[in-house]
Amino acid sequence: MCGIAGFFQLPQHPGEHAATVRGMLSAIAHRGPDSTGYYVDDHCAFGTTRLSIIDINSGAQPLSDETGRYWICYNGEVYNYLELRAELEAKGRVFQTRSDTEVVLQAWIHWGEACLRKFNGGYAFAIYDRAAAELILVRDRFGKRPLFYTTGGPGFAFASEMKAFFALPDFHFEQDVGQVQSILAQWTPLPHQSGFRHIRNLPMGCWMRVTTGKVEERTYEALTLEPSSTVASEAGALDLIRERLADSVALRLRSDVEVGVYLSGGVDSAIVALLTCDRAKGRVRTFSVEFDDAKLDESKEQRLMAEYLGTQHLGVRVSHGDIATQFPAAIFHAEIPAFRSAFVPMYLLAESTRQAGIKVVLSGEGADEAFLGYDLYKETILRAEWNTAPEQVRRARLAQLYPHLGHYQPQDIAAITGLYHQFAEEKIPGLFSHELRLQNGRFSARLIRSQDDPFRAMREMVRATDGYAALTAVQKAQWLEYKTLLAGYLLSTQGERMTMAHGVENRCPFLDPAVVDAACAVNLRFDDGFTEKRLLRQAFRERLPEAIVNKRKFPYRAPDGAAFAAAPPDYLELLLSEAELSQIPYLDSRFARSLTTKVLANGASETSTKENQTFLFLLSLALLHRMFVKREGMPRRRVHSPVERVIDLRSGAAGYDSQGNFASVT
Amino acid sequence: MHQPIRAFIEEQFLIEFGDDFPEDTDLFRAGVMDSFGYVRLCRFLEQTYQFKFAEEEMTSNILVSLTRMEQFVDHKVSRGRAASG
Repeated sequence: MCGIAGFFQLPQHPGEHAATVRGMLSAIAHRGPDSTGYYVDDHCAFGTTRLSIIDINSGAQPLSDETGRYWICYNGEVYNYLELRAELEAKGRVFQTRSDTEVVLQAWIHWGEACLRKFNGGYAFAIYDRAAAELILVRDRFGKRPLFYTTGGPGFAFASEMKAFFALPDFHFEQDVGQVQSILAQWTPLPHQSGFRHIRNLPMGCWMRVTTGKVEERTYEALTLEPSSTVASEAGALDLIRERLADSVALRLRSDVEVGVYLSGGVDSAIVALLTCDRAKGRVRTFSVEFDDAKLDESKEQRLMAEYLGTQHLGVRVSHGDIATQFPAAIFHAEIPAFRSAFVPMYLLAESTRQAGIKVVLSGEGADEAFLGYDLYKETILRAEWNTAPEQVRRARLAQLYPHLGHYQPQDIAAITGLYHQFAEEKIPGLFSHELRLQNGRFSARLIRSQDDPFRAMREMVRATDGYAALTAVQKAQWLEYKTLLAGYLLSTQGERMTMAHGVENRCPFLDPAVVDAACAVNLRFDDGFTEKRLLRQAFRERLPEAIVNKRKFPYRAPDGAAFAAAPPDYLELLLSEAELSQIPYLDSRFARSLTTKVLANGASETSTKENQTFLFLLSLALLHRMFVKREGMPRRRVHSPVERVIDLRSGAAGYDSQGNFASVT
Repeated sequence: MHQPIRAFIEEQFLIEFGDDFPEDTDLFRAGVMDSFGYVRLCRFLEQTYQFKFAEEEMTSNILVSLTRMEQFVDHKVSRGRAASG
């Protein structure tokens, strides 16, 4: 796992290229503190800050083929690299290293674009073809690893994290009002959105070719929710789930360094930990977030699971004060406006994990999307049948929904009936499943002074997607979750960006294509979907403690507005001062001030979900504006990544500076 | 009679009724009403005006605007008075 960055045909003297790419890599050195390397010629420069996990000694980057025509900078892992290497060797390809990086390069040279569908992993990489003078950029199919690019200035630049663009000459960050409004209304960015003008996130499952004056983006793998085969019986379904998950965990344990597991207290990470222990040679180490607030804390189940498996467990206790103190640093790493504070504890967890000497962790993300774990799916089923189902069926279904949400009580059943009646028919074309969520989003979107439809981009995305209209209501809900909340928050802001802030790679067994395929084959085949993840639980029932396997979905959350109300940090001045707020021209400052005053004055029980999420959005927008647009108040945590490889092919290379140690700006 | 409803909605959803935001505005379409806010509003009306919503009443778009709510509360309260008188 690493960070990559570079540029193509930047209009500056080649003598400046090395310093520019070093500056870009320096800004993301936290992603790869082990070593740094870069390639530079008269037209292109790109490099890697490396977190050494596979082939630690000879896997340095950039890496080339034997002819020196192709060069690669690579971030992430292709877990099935051993199988692909064997396939390539059988076809006569010769390898110089044991690394998966070289397998990816050779696969591209041998198969071209067709290689991408063979890759099973989380990755983003850049390949430069010197002969064709073209740059290829690729991102994995679920958006596990990031890859941003900008065509805003003259020339083209890309990076794992946008903060690398600080090093580009004459580059200025500017928040994109339309995108920000869209993010606030949806909770998360759409796959291509970054929140900034002229910066695009390469969507998951896409690749691009950059040549002189031309940038082409293509999809190599569209998200499919149709299974490749059918399952005849429930017993067959359970076998299939067990088999695919065991294989997925085994693949993700391929590493030359120790692999730990994040234990959330829920059934998904418990299964991952169980299967890890099945395979591990020594005692597995597990890591968890604990809270003082009993309503949020799952340490009882975490410790139960750790004791059950005999893991060496570390619980990291996070207080309200920790969240308020660390929020600016965490949002700087996240780079995207956030609607919850729950990513901040993950930032602290990654720090402790790294301090414990662990560079790779497995976790349970992706299970709820694959195996229908969210209430959203039940809610969608119920709303879709609302106008036709008998009243007693509707009542029974409602009683099964949301029991973990303390703020809905049995006497509210009439009120919820009225609410569902409002949302029983599709109002926003293609987005029926998410309309209740989007209604809360409308409140957050009021932060922006704009009359535009905040869902326009989302509507256009689904309208332009082949096959989307033919999906069932639940499949549409799944599809949207993969494209928005999972990729746009859980894997990124709360996932990859927090682990990589501290040089920890996160791997997700539930995101193996074979696991997703199995889930699609069994979902709603043998039950009505109202017991979430029933088959997944059933598959491991005999191997997990009852308290874990029967535990209802308990959404991982952290104290939101309450964390800031308890001990207001200095930077809240950004929201409380008229002068500060007025510097963000697109904000409705009157609404922003009313909201801030209300959230800070009210207790946690008096602050609603929509208010909390809107407050967190406002705070993160203000901090991102200060750090990225104004370039002020950036956290200063220095990470050194020694330069170990420089490939300098500039025509005047002898006279240019091209080496040196550097430190990240974070 | 109706002032508490107006005040609750304005405080709960951070809006102000007036020329820019008329009382007959559909609160869902205006992006003001959220799911939990809707439930709280129901609880508030029941507690303040001492009645209970019936499920069948909730399927007739009562709580979509301040105007509709005021009309419904008037109706409920007058029926309650008639029943007790």
